[in-house]
Amino acid sequence: MTQTSRRVLLALLTCLVLAMAGPAQAKDLLVFAAASLKNAAEDIGKAYEASGGGKVNYSFAASSDLAKQIENGAPAGIYISADTKWMDYLTERKLIAADSRRDLLGNRLVLIAPADSTLAIKLAAGAPLAQALGDGKLAMADPDSVPAGRYGKAALESLQLWSSVEPAVVRAKDVRATLTFVERGEAAAGIVYATDAMVSKKVRIVDEFPASSHPKIVYPIALIAGQDDAAAHAFYDYLVGPKARGVFLDYGFSIIGAGAATN
Amino acid sequence: MLQPTDLELEAIRLSLRVAFWSVACSLPVAVAVAWVLARTRFPGKILLDGLVHLPLVVPPVVVGFILLVLFGRRGPIGGWLYDTFGITIIFTWKGAALAAAVMAFPLMVRAIRLSLEAVDRRLEAAARTLGARRFDVFMTVTLPLMTPGILAGVVLAFARSLGEFGATITFVSNIPGETRTIPVAIYTLTQTPDGDVGALRLSIIAVILALIALVASELLARRVNARIAG
Repeated sequence: MTQTSRRVLLALLTCLVLAMAGPAQAKDLLVFAAASLKNAAEDIGKAYEASGGGKVNYSFAASSDLAKQIENGAPAGIYISADTKWMDYLTERKLIAADSRRDLLGNRLVLIAPADSTLAIKLAAGAPLAQALGDGKLAMADPDSVPAGRYGKAALESLQLWSSVEPAVVRAKDVRATLTFVERGEAAAGIVYATDAMVSKKVRIVDEFPASSHPKIVYPIALIAGQDDAAAHAFYDYLVGPKARGVFLDYGFSIIGAGAATN
Repeated sequence: MLQPTDLELEAIRLSLRVAFWSVACSLPVAVAVAWVLARTRFPGKILLDGLVHLPLVVPPVVVGFILLVLFGRRGPIGGWLYDTFGITIIFTWKGAALAAAVMAFPLMVRAIRLSLEAVDRRLEAAARTLGARRFDVFMTVTLPLMTPGILAGVVLAFARSLGEFGATITFVSNIPGETRTIPVAIYTLTQTPDGDVGALRLSIIAVILALIALVASELLARRVNARIAG
């Protein structure tokens, strides 16, 4: 091997090593959060960065989507689910860091309609929801998998409304896609969290589902096993801390286990 | 074990129907656009070319959202269709076919345009000198010569329509038996805790269907080439 080709080889190897080391050093924290957390979590992330914390990137989607991605090795440091079921799913597979799981937030479930709609109904057992919809659609997140849809189906079932409205149901991929369908007036009504309804001016809340009609809405948070580096721990502490709590409250979430979170 | 379940059959049947109508309705438009692109010159042609190819490069969710805005009940086109004819596009299989047609359109136009450019124009000129009118020349000379290319475009567009997901779920959501096509059904299964096996089965079906279409398209393309060479 000549002197020149040796130098070229060395240069190439150096480039390779740098290329491999580069992204690892510059890796930002990635947080997987339920779609309904979008506005609140983004505000918290900005405040965290402004206060000198590291850079935070989010991926918002249906909790089911995110759980499946984590199962398949997505590089998320923190996961916030909109129900306990998908957190259980990861817990059973030992994919979350031991002892990091805690219940963070609560929410309420509401029926919404486009802001200019006249739809009015009181959500109670046997309420004439199907009649109120007419030939309009009822948008909700997929009732088979996505938390917002599962809560919604449970609520409709316990109010004995599910079988009558099921033919009108339009299954959106997550709760924010549901919101879009109602905002645009393409669905006559939709089922979302109270917090989603509050961030949109184009919809109004028709009525709130009785809390007893569906399983309690709980958002658990956890660190992901093997991805719980210092940056993840630091932001996790911030998320469960008082500053983040203020933002969550502003957006209409309720705080679960507030006493335990005073650190 | 190898027997398809009712759910799978429903998705397959729906996908085939959506793909069929997607191709059937866009074919005449694709032939017209291919003709314009291959045979005419006008200012702004490059823009039309770009517009036709846009669905290849724009994220499917953007296409779906644009369709939602235009063809929704409250959209300018969707509203007019509903008020005038009582036709609802959004949240129906027709909307799924529309989304598939838009996404597959560039592929169809490309194949047809290539076959049109391969047509020997001297044959058309000869037909003209024998007294045929322009339209007759197109119908009796040009179109038959393009047939293999059109078939290739149709098959390719059919395969693309079978696989459409992003624009579909954004525009017409996920309604069992109405808009839950094979890809949407696979997505639903991947979202379900124990859906992996079902998702895999449907994925294999999707791969087989796409492969059949692509092989058919390739065989047709070879015939075009043989004809040009001959």
